[in-house]
Amino acid sequence: MKSAIALALLSALLATPAAAQSGDPKAELAKLKPKDFPTGPIEYTVVYPAGGGMDVTARLLAKYVEKWSGDKIVVNNRTGGAGMVGHAYLATQAKPDGYTVGVVANLLWGDAMLRAQGRWAYTDLEPIAYLNSDPLVWVGPTDGPYKGMSVKQIVQIAKDKPNTVRVATVPGSMWEYILDQVEANSGAKFLRVPFQGGGAGINALAGGNVDIAQGFFSEFRGLADAGKVAPLGVAAPERLSFLKDTPTMNEALGGNEYQWIIIRFAVVPKGTPADRKAYLGAAINAAMRDPELVAEYLKAGVYFDPKLTDPARMEANLKAYAEAEREFYQKTGRLK
Amino acid sequence: MDAVGGLLTGFGVILTPENLYLCFLGSLIGTLVGVLPGVGPLAALALLLPITFTLTPVGGMVMLASIFYGAMYGGSTTSILLNIPGEAASVVTCFDGHQMAKQGRAGAALGIAAIGSFVAGTLGVIVMTFFAPAIAAVAIRFGPPENFALMVLGVICTLYMIGGSLVKGVLMVALGFLTAAIGIDVVNGRERFTFGSIDLSAGIELLAVVIGLFGVTEVLSNVERIVKSTVVTDRIRGLWPTLADWRASWRPMLRGSGLGFFLGLVPGGGPVTASFMSYALEKRISAHPERFGKGAIEGVAGPESANNAAVAGSIIPVLSLGIPGNPVTALLLGALVIQGIQPGPLFIAQRPDLFWGIVASMYVGNVFLLLLNLPLVGLWAQLLRIPYRVLFPIVLLLSVVGTYSANKNVFDLWVMLGFGLLGYVLHKLEYDLAPFVIALVLAPLLEQSLRQSLAMSPDGAMIFLQRPGTALMLTACAVLVALMFRRAKKS
Repeated sequence: MKSAIALALLSALLATPAAAQSGDPKAELAKLKPKDFPTGPIEYTVVYPAGGGMDVTARLLAKYVEKWSGDKIVVNNRTGGAGMVGHAYLATQAKPDGYTVGVVANLLWGDAMLRAQGRWAYTDLEPIAYLNSDPLVWVGPTDGPYKGMSVKQIVQIAKDKPNTVRVATVPGSMWEYILDQVEANSGAKFLRVPFQGGGAGINALAGGNVDIAQGFFSEFRGLADAGKVAPLGVAAPERLSFLKDTPTMNEALGGNEYQWIIIRFAVVPKGTPADRKAYLGAAINAAMRDPELVAEYLKAGVYFDPKLTDPARMEANLKAYAEAEREFYQKTGRLK
Repeated sequence: MDAVGGLLTGFGVILTPENLYLCFLGSLIGTLVGVLPGVGPLAALALLLPITFTLTPVGGMVMLASIFYGAMYGGSTTSILLNIPGEAASVVTCFDGHQMAKQGRAGAALGIAAIGSFVAGTLGVIVMTFFAPAIAAVAIRFGPPENFALMVLGVICTLYMIGGSLVKGVLMVALGFLTAAIGIDVVNGRERFTFGSIDLSAGIELLAVVIGLFGVTEVLSNVERIVKSTVVTDRIRGLWPTLADWRASWRPMLRGSGLGFFLGLVPGGGPVTASFMSYALEKRISAHPERFGKGAIEGVAGPESANNAAVAGSIIPVLSLGIPGNPVTALLLGALVIQGIQPGPLFIAQRPDLFWGIVASMYVGNVFLLLLNLPLVGLWAQLLRIPYRVLFPIVLLLSVVGTYSANKNVFDLWVMLGFGLLGYVLHKLEYDLAPFVIALVLAPLLEQSLRQSLAMSPDGAMIFLQRPGTALMLTACAVLVALMFRRAKKS
């Protein structure tokens, strides 16, 4: 009983205004259901490979959307080019008929602004629901010369002895942008070792082939629990509830701009009929109010951004984040 | 807990009707997934992942793992019979396996593939039982410089083993490298050779290339000889490997097992690389390298063992460190995470039932797969009696379906067709396709590890001499190159 109250409280906290809508989510959803839709399975397109953070997010979501809406959901991985292929598919090829939903992350914006070469824009995909947020964390070794050092100490070494500290990064993405900020603000210079994803960098850290890795909580939790690697700084505005002893990067370096977070949300191709779009979004929001799904997401080490959990403000706030990212690209000369 | 005690615990967990059934079901699905071109273990696991939500963690993992290694058993079937690789780790099996089938020895090839898979799979689990945590701790130190040296060794072995014209061989390797360069640069994320095309920015899909080069080319070169009525030119000889086959195969099986296990273990490796490297190794050390590509049973025994051993090898880092080395094991990790279990260095101590249950299931699964696959050998071999005019539309259909189902991208079909035509032309001009494909597979890893090594080194290329393992492998490369020049001078 106690835990049920706690869960109810938790879900209420996490999605306050949405949860305030009274009544049975199933009945409310049924009211929104358009006529003759859906008549077949709905595809949740994931642009990253099966098994990764994005994929697990989508598959868990699909399970609970099926539970609340009764619709059949198929998760499909359209992969290639680090998400580029799937993003382009969603923006330019997928039919806007409501049968395609993209389960995407804010990495979509970088692809649209820097790599799409005008072939499509992020506004070609319309957000219908917010899922969760997952901040980048700097992770350090638990043996060797950098053992036990804080972010500040390591940055100082990279300043005193440039090109000696090896940092794992993923080129052309937030892994690199945070390094740009740190280097620009501190005068440090790192050896940037490119990897295909955060997980591969964590591997290299555990193997002593790099000195700092940047990854998500779910990627390093097992190694951190065993004391093989240590989280040093979280690139989020506030400390994470499950990493209370780890400072934010802003605290560690005395700044306010070290915020690099994967924001996961669902989109539909532009032109999807309004009633279907509303229904698809409502179905996801219903699932997101299910304490079981919330608990599953929390277990994976994500948090919920209060600016986005309110469906009414979600779209505008996402757009603000996207435009802030555009400004960063313009400031750093990546975008003319 | 010691290994024997642990294993007993594991068998206690696994020997329940439900878990045995799931292990058998996984083996069966895995075999089918392997047999069907295009549907690889990754796609199958992704598809079946939701089913495991309703199973116990042990049951779910047992089923997913058995699909993974089961696919390695089935993958050789279409490679040998139809020259279409069932999945990427069985591409090399086309080289000699299909030639054997043409000589009426499909049974022997299929039999050796199944037995090699069994031997390697079982050896892999035995090593896993006794040394998993220790091995994982060492393997994780294998970094970009070591990976680079290993890939260079692979490419040099490929060049060294080229029969016939060295110039043609070098050309094919270069073409393989060029083709691999198409798409997004793995290091700085820029597009290369894409001409602004979104399709090309994803790179050339390996499966589309090999299905085109082998499956489609095969059909094109066969239909021009209409007189022929079946694939088999000779009579189908004995269904089972002969004594001579055994004598030729046991060493490649053991070498393939060792090499495959190792390549499964290290970050970035996996069954695909393992099978290619094993083929290169076998051809390199063979007393008669000229037999390769013409139906050498070693060319089937080695790689088919290697890809299975690589599965066992690649599961170790996931379970004992919580770090996946390739996409399929990343999915296995995902499956555990969804169940609320986070593997890491403490996993074996915290969840002995799960770790040892999975290990025990791999012993059982390999026995299931051997029993499942050996009786099928006879049946499969009969397929080749089908008149070619009936068979070739089926081959084309399988090629199209297989290519499309991998990414559900129509562009891949054009790639397949293009490489089918290219393969036909190259075949006519007597170019060997093996070096092209090997270069295509190894190039991305080679490039990435080279650039990573240089990025992580304050002293530039000196990093390759500073690390003992790397220096050793590169010295071996230098010796091979010297030998190659001497041989070229002589002839």
